[in-house]
Amino acid sequence: MKLKEIERTAAQAWSPANNHPIYLATGTSAQQLDASFSTNATLEIFEVDFRDPSLDLKQKGTLPASNRFHKLIWGNFGNGSPESSGVIIGGGDNGVLTMYSVHRILASKSEPVIGQTEKHSGPVRALDFNPFQSNLLASGANDSEIFIWDLNNFSVPMTPGAKSQPHEDISVVSWNRQVQHILSSAHPSGKAVVWDLRKNEPIIKVSDHSNRMHCSGMAWHPEVATQLVLSSEDDRLPVIQIWDLRFATSPLSQLEGHTRGVLSVSWCQADPELLLSSAKDNRILCWNPNMGEVVYELPIRSQWCFDVQWCPRNPSVFSAATFDGWINIYSVMGGNLEAQQKTQADKISSSFNNLDPFGTGQILPPLQVPEQVAQTTLIPPLKKPPKWIRRPVGVSFAFGGKLITFGLTKAPGQQMQQTYPHQVFISQVTTETEFLLRSRELQMALQSGNLLDYCQGKIQTAKLPFDENLWNFLKVNLEQESRSKLLKLLGYSKEDLQKKITSCLSNGIPDKQPLPEANETNAAQPDQLLINSSDAVAAVSSSAFFDNLIPQNISTLEIPVTEDTDGLISQALLLGNFESAVELCMQAERFADAIILAIAGGENLLRETQKHYFAKQKTKLSVLLSSIVQQKWQDIVCTCNLQSWKEALAILLTYSKHEDYTQLCDMLGARLESEGDAGLSNDACLCYISSGNVERLVECWVKNHETSSPLALQDLIEKVMVLNRSIEMLQGTAGPAPGPVLAERITQYASLLASQGCLAAAMDYLPRSSKELLIEQLRDRLFHAQGANVGDQQPPPFPYTRVNVGVIKHTSPAAKGGSAPEGAASKTGPRHPEKPNYQSSFAPSAPSQPSVPSLFTPQPVPAMSMTPHHVTPPQASTGPQTGVYSRGSPYPQYNLGLVPAAISGQGLLYLQRTSQLSERLGSSETSSSSNCCCMSTDIKHI
Amino acid sequence: LPPQVSVINTVDTSHEDMIHDAQMDYYGTRLATCSSDRSVKIFDVRNGGQILIADLRGHEGPVWQVAWAHPMYGNILASCSYDRKVIVWKEENGTWEKTYEYTGHDSSVNSVCWAPHDYGLILACGSSDGAISLLSYTGDGQWEVKKISNAHTIGCNAVSWAPAVVPGSLIEQPSGQKPNYIKRFASGGCDNLVKIWKEEDGQWKEEQKLEAHSDWVRDVAWAPSIGLPTSTIASCSQDGRVFIWTCDDASGNSWSPKLLHKFNDVVWHVSWSITANILAVSGGDNKVTLWKESVDGLWACISDVNKGQGGVSAITEGQQNEQ
Repeated sequence: MKLKEIERTAAQAWSPANNHPIYLATGTSAQQLDASFSTNATLEIFEVDFRDPSLDLKQKGTLPASNRFHKLIWGNFGNGSPESSGVIIGGGDNGVLTMYSVHRILASKSEPVIGQTEKHSGPVRALDFNPFQSNLLASGANDSEIFIWDLNNFSVPMTPGAKSQPHEDISVVSWNRQVQHILSSAHPSGKAVVWDLRKNEPIIKVSDHSNRMHCSGMAWHPEVATQLVLSSEDDRLPVIQIWDLRFATSPLSQLEGHTRGVLSVSWCQADPELLLSSAKDNRILCWNPNMGEVVYELPIRSQWCFDVQWCPRNPSVFSAATFDGWINIYSVMGGNLEAQQKTQADKISSSFNNLDPFGTGQILPPLQVPEQVAQTTLIPPLKKPPKWIRRPVGVSFAFGGKLITFGLTKAPGQQMQQTYPHQVFISQVTTETEFLLRSRELQMALQSGNLLDYCQGKIQTAKLPFDENLWNFLKVNLEQESRSKLLKLLGYSKEDLQKKITSCLSNGIPDKQPLPEANETNAAQPDQLLINSSDAVAAVSSSAFFDNLIPQNISTLEIPVTEDTDGLISQALLLGNFESAVELCMQAERFADAIILAIAGGENLLRETQKHYFAKQKTKLSVLLSSIVQQKWQDIVCTCNLQSWKEALAILLTYSKHEDYTQLCDMLGARLESEGDAGLSNDACLCYISSGNVERLVECWVKNHETSSPLALQDLIEKVMVLNRSIEMLQGTAGPAPGPVLAERITQYASLLASQGCLAAAMDYLPRSSKELLIEQLRDRLFHAQGANVGDQQPPPFPYTRVNVGVIKHTSPAAKGGSAPEGAASKTGPRHPEKPNYQSSFAPSAPSQPSVPSLFTPQPVPAMSMTPHHVTPPQASTGPQTGVYSRGSPYPQYNLGLVPAAISGQGLLYLQRTSQLSERLGSSETSSSSNCCCMSTDIKHI
Repeated sequence: LPPQVSVINTVDTSHEDMIHDAQMDYYGTRLATCSSDRSVKIFDVRNGGQILIADLRGHEGPVWQVAWAHPMYGNILASCSYDRKVIVWKEENGTWEKTYEYTGHDSSVNSVCWAPHDYGLILACGSSDGAISLLSYTGDGQWEVKKISNAHTIGCNAVSWAPAVVPGSLIEQPSGQKPNYIKRFASGGCDNLVKIWKEEDGQWKEEQKLEAHSDWVRDVAWAPSIGLPTSTIASCSQDGRVFIWTCDDASGNSWSPKLLHKFNDVVWHVSWSITANILAVSGGDNKVTLWKESVDGLWACISDVNKGQGGVSAITEGQQNEQ
């Protein structure tokens, strides 16, 4: 197909193969005059830009020349410097040779002519650059005159030897493509002379002695050093002869196809099986010289093409210069020219002003391109696939980290002789060696069940305190009495507390409570703050509170009946009106009396009284007391200062029931997480570990940790698997099916294992129970990928909707209407196997994961400004209803080691009673820090 | 420990001429090969075996590429050839047969690639006639053809689909409604360009023109999605260069190239691992190299596979500099 065209009667030269972009130089032809009879000469350089689909060439440089050109040639000389694009040599009349700097022409700089000589006699028609030494140029002119030029010294030429006799014009000179000191020249008489420059003489003359060869063209074989072709311009013998110098008495073969004399030949450097020729029969043919057959033919043109040239850089492309004054550029790969034809027609039309060139007011009708033209423009491509399109090597990845390779095993350049290998290699690629090592450790731990040691190892090798902490939490989850151990991890050991209380009681209660300010300045204990309080530790204060509840100074019974408060209370009591008595006590702020009376007055009154008491009494401790007494765990979780999350968690660990416990831990985690602070998010992870909520743990984790790298993913999966196992141990059944976020990571992890060839291991991580599409898809792929290794297992269900391709014999509704694949595509759903959760800004209110089993749907955490050390009263009825703490309810399975705290008000007693705890973790730390007023240990120090 | 590449199976294809492509199916259990001997062969390679299960004859020229369709469409293989044809082969009850033949190109068909299975069964074909065809299966043995003419002047050498992406993908589509996929693919050609095509209102439009190569683009490979918002394309060229193109914005407008390496010979093929973190490069220098992006965004050669031996020479500092 035609790619480009330009109207020039000119000699042409392509830029060398290493030049980018591709240029074509044209120089006004010396042999032809157009109708203007102008003898002006121009040298032009055009960019051949195939990115631009139009037929136009872009002119990049132009220069008036002193001589018209018989031959133009472009070489790499001087290409060492970055801005250089080589030199163009023009052969003109009267023996003139001119050397141009391409760079200077393109940059429109002064003195583009960098050398000129008139050493030759007559027109210089033959030029060739040595392919090995870019400074060596051969030229041929009249009288058998051949010169070799060193462009570094352009004034003095050399000769290859004595002039051949008889003297005649040299039509072509050509350097051998393999041996750099061999040159040949072609003579109109039909002979070719091969020169050896080392010997400085002709070494062989090639001629078939028919005397009818009239050499117009000559070319060396691109790869076989001893072969060359000669073309004959004689109409009586319009042939191309192939010669081998090893057998120089007659041609090896003769390409016969042109009906009139051959004007030019060009041998494709990228594929020796492609030889172009143009002839006076107006045809351009491409031959396979080995087979002697025409493999491509350009449709007959109206004019002779006097020069064809392969583009050195783009092997599919050649240019043809014709006597009718056009240079056309074609591709041998075939294709349809219709589009271009049309643009050409449009261009012609548009060059007439607005389609109304004669100002008649009548618009020209659109030009109808004759159909005949459209038909002839469909040119079949080369019959023989060109070498440059034949991909000799290849590589492709396949599922399971397989690498498929094939191709050459011998060095390129020797392909002529080689037989092609027919093996394809399948290799296993493993790149993530450290990941695989750690993954195996985890697998072994999970299989052996010895996860405690695994956790202990992780604790010891943890680099970050947070990581160590996390592994401590995970480990404790695997142990018996996990709740009390968790408490200890939080810094609350029951034994230590008992010691402190004992010492406190024996030494007497401190006269004064330490002032909050004093404690705040205590930098060593910044994290010991209890719920909404920067004050003394709860337990100690609680005991003081109970002490204060003991009535004092009771002597003789005296029943006042006066009209003051005492009297009114007495009277009310006498009548059994506890409600009024309590009310009076409360009014007089005699809370102890009120409570005592309320106990006697029954459960309802007690509850009311407690409520009133807490409403009135606003000490730093009262919120805690009220929450504990009234079992408002949710208030604690929702309102506590986030810096005191550990204390809040401790309360949950101590008091809450299992059903509420996980939910409340999750709420606390959600609050921490919603702060968006990385540190608090890490704490949130601890809450989720405590609650055993794997999905939330993963959600929270991925927000603050990258998990795209294999080792980072491994970090996460280790935790997930250990936590999962602890839940399984507690529940005695397989853990819940993973939610979408976890499913994505699990799939990612299993995919990664699969990519390293560990198909069976990858399969193990995918829970069978899961109905997550991602997991089902990967299970299916892994199952079949393992071939016979899983032969005894049942294949998992195919996780896609099958589409039948081909003509369906029995009409099924699914295939009707031509929309089967699309319909199927929508059935597979808007799930995107590899689409991640980018926008996972955490919204606890959004019940977006309904598939998460065994979890509550988090309610919105009330937005409130949390100023540190300031008590915000609990908001009673926000959030889900916390379950009423029923007495004597069976303690949840989860809290295996703990005795139920039967009565809420007896929390302390309960703590004391259940203080036989294992001391495997942090006991030394906590005991060493035992101090009367400090029970809380910074968790980071564990 | 250095990465390891070890040959686990050597398949003797008995092709009688140059092999041009070898592809495993979705599960990695079957190998399809094609050759200048005009045949397409399918081998069962499970568990290290190599059982020839089909020798498909139908092309009249060298077969350049083969492509497996997703298994939800059954056992489907597409092949393309210098004979200007695209053939879709199908297995039915153990027998492989031609189910569709497309003859709409005027020159060699150099590349075939199936779209993500979510879109339906769609095949993109790139040809030396400069056009790209999109063949969509519409049911009951019918195929619909869309053609992009003049996609690449002188010819298209490679096509590769983008992974399936839906805008705002977390928003669940109303049930029963077709997801609003943005369909894109990349192509590379003899105009030295990589182009990105996007479907808009059922029409394929040129969305981007990526210019960096100075010679024919031999292959393009759109990386599988690994859950990051970045799109990545690898391209290799006759000029010996391999570029990694990335685009971070969702609109798909700002692509930037990074030179992976300049080889001394033509680079014929690039292929991403399934997890998209490794790029395999195959060049005329008869070598296969594996490349991986480091944390700081630099691409490093992690192994150098010599074909036939399959062994890996660990890349030393000096070699890496040399490369």
